[in-house]
Amino acid sequence: MADTEIVFHAKGLGYTYLDRYPALDDVSFQIRRGERIALLGANGSGKSTLLKILDGLVFPTSGELSAYGQPLTEESLADPAVNARFRSRVGIVFQNSDVQVFSATVREEIAFGCLQLGLSAAETAARTADVLDMLEIEDLTDRTPFQLSGGQKKKVALASVLVMNPEVILFDEPTAALDPRTQHWLIDLIAQLGEAGKTVVLATHDLHTLADLTDRAIIFGEDHRVLADTQTRAILADRSQLIAANLIHDHEV
Amino acid sequence: MTARVLKPAPAWLVSSEQPIGTGRVGRRKRAAFLEKTPGDGAEVVRRAMYAESADPRGDRPGVLFRIDPRIKLVALVVLLLGVALVHTPVTLAVVYLGLVLLAWAGGVSVGAFVTRVWLFVPLFTAVALAPATLSVITPGEVLVPLWTWHGAQEGITSQGLTSAGLVILRVACSVSLVLLVTISTSWNRLLAALGALGVPRIFVMVIAMAYRYLFVLLGSVLDMVLARKARTVQPVAHTAGDRRFVGAAVGTLLGRAGHLSEEVHQAMTARGYAGQHHTLTGFRASGMDLLALAASLMVAVVIVGGDHLLR
Repeated sequence: MADTEIVFHAKGLGYTYLDRYPALDDVSFQIRRGERIALLGANGSGKSTLLKILDGLVFPTSGELSAYGQPLTEESLADPAVNARFRSRVGIVFQNSDVQVFSATVREEIAFGCLQLGLSAAETAARTADVLDMLEIEDLTDRTPFQLSGGQKKKVALASVLVMNPEVILFDEPTAALDPRTQHWLIDLIAQLGEAGKTVVLATHDLHTLADLTDRAIIFGEDHRVLADTQTRAILADRSQLIAANLIHDHEV
Repeated sequence: MTARVLKPAPAWLVSSEQPIGTGRVGRRKRAAFLEKTPGDGAEVVRRAMYAESADPRGDRPGVLFRIDPRIKLVALVVLLLGVALVHTPVTLAVVYLGLVLLAWAGGVSVGAFVTRVWLFVPLFTAVALAPATLSVITPGEVLVPLWTWHGAQEGITSQGLTSAGLVILRVACSVSLVLLVTISTSWNRLLAALGALGVPRIFVMVIAMAYRYLFVLLGSVLDMVLARKARTVQPVAHTAGDRRFVGAAVGTLLGRAGHLSEEVHQAMTARGYAGQHHTLTGFRASGMDLLALAASLMVAVVIVGGDHLLR
């Protein structure tokens, strides 16, 4: 793994909302191609903010971040070619599917990304059909978003990212608010994507399936700093670490 | 590491005393405006939006549902112009009857069609036009005397009635035309047709997304109303507290809408959006569509020409 390409390199990242509310503090790490990483932490620890920073949607208030060896800044993404290349390589699945399913129909939603990046209508239509088939949601093709259940919206959101065939997929609390069957389906899919060589970064506070889905975990404390960055199994075995991060609760009084 | 010890709960929380408000006897009162209207209004709009989008492909029997949406929009503009150029109530009445027949022949439910037209817009138009029928606004032959002024009879004049009738019928015809298009075309295809006809895509996209997220925000309105209702012991009247609730709810919704729009923009940016909106939808007009367009042009000419002859 040491020889594989470094996809993200973060040095001393910090982020503060409204110049007042810290979300991240002095966060440093590297993510290599093909890694499957969990960002663990309680609510409000900064996981979602970090994912948005990794996807170039918000930018750190301090520190540096580079993607594929190039600085990931607002200025660098202002270049249309750089932006298109980055967007085609990194995809994000938001926690709230409502914000991600914004088109008039499911078909248009899935086709959106490819069309924005310049893929032809014919090829986009073909890829859209492939992804609809793969996720078994062909019956939703012409439906409008507000007719869909939470699980269906999640599948459409996922389809809209997969159709672009990104190398890196960022997931923000992917199993939140899903019924058990849909959760199980999503976990299987994420595992499949990881095995296919995609770089997967998963922000979650759900520990149950982490060992199967990820090799490495970065734990964030409630002080918005990195508490630990090591193998997933080692972290899951470190009870005191998990309690310190408010990921489990110690019932001993 | 041991768990943090919780503070003890207050005595009233863990005692088995009777809940607040039990044992009261009161009369059932009608729900106040604030309690019913926002929630009911939001629910009506949500149901209407859901129903309109329930059949996106428009695969219903009836020729109106199968015509290319672009043709329908162009025909709509042509016929609206025709109606606007008519100056006699008789012509407009004939046009209206023709539209009802077209609705029936085109597969649209006539009952719903007529109700939706006459229940709202013409009613409000009639209310606004009522003063214009009076002799003080539109002088002429007094048909319905209402009062006398300096010995002269004043009231509703025939000229006033004719003018009001003209406006009401024109509104009814215009609304009927728009309704025929919107009933027979799903919202998505309508927006796509607007884009295909050259309406700036950004404009169409903003409308589409506003429509899409109106549903989400309406859900928030309903949730807020229900949450308040769950904690309201008795029907409320128009008090300062109600007005504070409305103000707070409006502010919350504005904040939520702002946050939602920011997140949606991030979701779009994440998938390559950089200001230009590209879509997949395409249309192909058939012979029937072109025939419909030619027919609408002819009808518009006949309407205006016939009206000219009647004057």
